[in-house]
Amino acid sequence: MLSTRPYKLHKLESGPASEAQVTSDEARKYYRDMATVRRMETAAGNLYKEKAIRGFCHLYSGQEACCVGMEAVLDRNDPVITAYRAHGWTYTRGVPVKAVLSELTGRASGCAKGKGGSMHMYNHNFYGGNGIVGAQVPLGAGIAFAQKYREDKRVCVTLYGDGAANQGQVFEAFNMAKLWDLPCIFVCENNKYGMGTAVERAAASTAYYTRGDYIPGLWVDAMDVITVREATRFAKDWCLSGKGPILLEMETYRFSY
Amino acid sequence: YLIPLSNSQYPVNQTTMHRPSLSACQLILRSFGRSGGNIVASRRFASSMNVRDALNSAMKEEIERDPNVFLMGEEVAQYDGAYKVSKGLWKLMGDKRVIDTPITEMGFTGLAVGAAMAGLRPICEFMTFNFSMQAIDHVINSAAKTYYMSAGDVKVPIVFRGPNGAAAGVGAQHSQDFASWYSHCPGLKVVSPWNSEDARGLLKAAIRDNDPVVCLENEMMYGVSFEVSPECESKDFLIPIGKAKIEIPGNHISLISYGKFVGLCVEAAAELAKEGIQCEVLNLRTLRPLDEESIVKSVMKTHHVVTVESCWPQCGMGAEIAARIMESQAFDYLDAPLTRMTGADVPMPYAQALEAAALPQVADIVRVVRRTLNRAAK
Repeated sequence: MLSTRPYKLHKLESGPASEAQVTSDEARKYYRDMATVRRMETAAGNLYKEKAIRGFCHLYSGQEACCVGMEAVLDRNDPVITAYRAHGWTYTRGVPVKAVLSELTGRASGCAKGKGGSMHMYNHNFYGGNGIVGAQVPLGAGIAFAQKYREDKRVCVTLYGDGAANQGQVFEAFNMAKLWDLPCIFVCENNKYGMGTAVERAAASTAYYTRGDYIPGLWVDAMDVITVREATRFAKDWCLSGKGPILLEMETYRFSY
Repeated sequence: YLIPLSNSQYPVNQTTMHRPSLSACQLILRSFGRSGGNIVASRRFASSMNVRDALNSAMKEEIERDPNVFLMGEEVAQYDGAYKVSKGLWKLMGDKRVIDTPITEMGFTGLAVGAAMAGLRPICEFMTFNFSMQAIDHVINSAAKTYYMSAGDVKVPIVFRGPNGAAAGVGAQHSQDFASWYSHCPGLKVVSPWNSEDARGLLKAAIRDNDPVVCLENEMMYGVSFEVSPECESKDFLIPIGKAKIEIPGNHISLISYGKFVGLCVEAAAELAKEGIQCEVLNLRTLRPLDEESIVKSVMKTHHVVTVESCWPQCGMGAEIAARIMESQAFDYLDAPLTRMTGADVPMPYAQALEAAALPQVADIVRVVRRTLNRAAK
């Protein structure tokens, strides 16, 4: 049994478990996945410096516990959509490292045949990879809407960054998600910088887990994979029990632009 | 907005002109609600239908046909539609299939596009296309480009529809024609119906299409009735996207237009026919992909061309058509340069006389045709 790091709650009576059972197989899998993502991103960073990768290359290095911890609870039928810092999620959603690096270097063997690039990688129940800050949030609410429409018992995980958290369309998505009880887990990956700007200089409120207002929220220390896992379990149960959307703030850190 | 013409080398030969004969299948019989014109009954036509009912029946049938189709937009459900286009649909289909949204275009358009990515087939209504500018990132970046960026993995079978262009006295922020903006973008299909048959067939085809389709309607046409054929009333009546229609064949000049302005071309053609000028009225129906073949064929036949639209002149639809003609074999068949009749290069004024002056009118079309054919001004 391991302890999870403390959570902060917004409009919630209780939060995720403070202790969690982790088998050694699970621990090895989480470690392997996080280490693979880190190595893949490091390789991508080197290729970018060599100009083998052009345009944009937003690395997930430092944030690995977030995607790996969440995927430990999600299954491949729960759709995920994120923004442009997507390579980690692309891997955990089932795209092999080779297909990611091929796509980044513009090869036809890339997961989008070289037509997408860093910000536009997709897979079954993985809707990218989106280049416009904040646009993925209403899209994710729409995917959750489709699930509810079809009565699929699934959640849609919709990720956005601390920078996108100030976008108007994010609040428009929150409004409709709460109004219509959409099974959407909104996840703010707060890595303390929106592009090059520190959060305190961009946001009047940096308590991102509260900014869903009428949507309950949870602050998560996302540098710990088990803490992330238990928060995701709590959020998934919340949505699937018909209580509507929930917001998770994953406080993390990134090592690059 | 009228480009000066050089003299035509080949003036129209008076002796070869004759009154145009319009066969039954090309007769467009209609009554204009405002002018109260007469309806001439024809045995070939089943019934009369206005454009509003054409759109309404198209949506109703497609929602009934496919459980994944639904309508979403402001006022579409309980208010019966801001312009009553979705009248009765919510009462019939309920909350699941006809959904009122908050007044948040960027949010609900993104939500509709996301739903399409996840396999549903939304009809996303913009109260007018002016408000689509708030959501245009989702129309272009989320919808139009995704199939390509994902190398064919993610389809976006969505329809964006609503009134486009000027209405009556709604002022500058509510009168823009977006034909040019949307037809510019690869990944979108763009249709613009004129009459009831167009409205039914194009909207049904758009809903069944697996790509994002922009359907540019016109508020002023909603109340206008047209005779429709029995085929048009069939539940599977579709008009192919990408094919223009010759509303009236003619030998002397091609009038190329879309949407409401096709009607003005038809009126101008009737007036010009009295002096023996045969106008060929080409209803584009689809703006992207543009039916270049029909345009070129028409111009090769008539040697003269005028385009009519309400977009502003710079980078409007007429500019594109002019370029396509120049790039094709039709260029060698031109006896005069193309004239593009467009909206005036100003934000739409409010006062009625100014608004009328800012848009092509029938009298303007008649004057420009006569000038193109090198006739003396009346």
